Amino acid sequence: MPALENTFLFAEPLKHYLEYASVVLHQIVEANKHSGQTIIELIGDDATPDNALKQLQNTNPIVFSMTGHGNETTTSLECTAVLVNTESPQLSLLKGRVVSLVSCLTAQQLGPAIIDAGATAYLGYKENFWFFIGDAAGTTRAVQSPFLAAFQFEASLLQGKSVADARKDQLAKYDEEIAYWMSGAGKNDVNSMELSRILEMNKAVSVFLGEGYITPSPGPTVLTAGANSIPFALAGVLLGIAIYREIVA
Amino acid sequence: MSKDLVQKWYEHLPNQERELPLILLDGIVYTPTTAYNEVMRDSPVGIRLQALIEQGKFGTSTEDEQAIAKTRLEQWLSTQPDKPLFATLSNKVFTPSQLLEEIQSGTPIGEQWKNNEINHMRNLMHLR
Repeated sequence: MPALENTFLFAEPLKHYLEYASVVLHQIVEANKHSGQTIIELIGDDATPDNALKQLQNTNPIVFSMTGHGNETTTSLECTAVLVNTESPQLSLLKGRVVSLVSCLTAQQLGPAIIDAGATAYLGYKENFWFFIGDAAGTTRAVQSPFLAAFQFEASLLQGKSVADARKDQLAKYDEEIAYWMSGAGKNDVNSMELSRILEMNKAVSVFLGEGYITPSPGPTVLTAGANSIPFALAGVLLGIAIYREIVA
Repeated sequence: MSKDLVQKWYEHLPNQERELPLILLDGIVYTPTTAYNEVMRDSPVGIRLQALIEQGKFGTSTEDEQAIAKTRLEQWLSTQPDKPLFATLSNKVFTPSQLLEEIQSGTPIGEQWKNNEINHMRNLMHLR
């Protein structure tokens, strides 16, 4: 059965400094989701491998996006519990899906294994993914910036863009964040040196594999502005007519 | 050849970057500030530095690039507060001094930072 359009599964663990990533991913989901989309977010203690694999099976999402600690062959969720490695039979659960792993090093072996298992696309990192922890998670642009760039891919998919366009948007967001810290308003911030370098490194090691032509959430804007808003539009017209009649009478 | 371009380049640089070694000429390493001062006073070396800045080059061999990159990272990281500032999604956390040790020991993590620093230097040279 093909993966379900407009269905997104996000895994957002919080421990071992992962709150720095998950707080931003959650905000991005909230800001970009549309009616007509099915959004499943496994947050904190719910972001276990068991739950993620069950949700992949039961909800059959077209997009699976997660953050977690990883290495060349493996990625993990809450408390560094392993989700899959290159030998896992569960890789078959990723078939037909767009898979985004904001996790270190997985592009070396796990990413290609995910594509070999039949995933439509994979986005990840071939070296270490760096982030800044000098402030509390989610509180400053410095701690958010690496993840604002990384999760632009998810933001654009939720907005209804194709995988290829979402990847373009992500690379452009990397450039925008780098420019902010190197020559923009943030260039003399006390943390600008850290952030410009972190973003440059993450962009340089970001890897996309697979096909870009798929649009996982076609027409979310149409759904919002179209079908769902017709009753409201009709009600508005009728109310206007009623008010007009009252005034004329 | 225009001093305006050098002036604009210098003004675009973040303040902290202006004091880190960047351009190598005849075995001497210049920070953006020292290079800018030489250009502005029309010294013979200033004219040659201006040409390098206009071309966006820092005038070095690969070996020199590595050495300057390492020096820049040492100079910067040694002035940072020694508390955890950097983390990776491979469950590692570093203070600036721990990161400096990685760079000085030439570990894969240190090499990632050093190689990136060379790209960073190129990006700085191309700021306009």
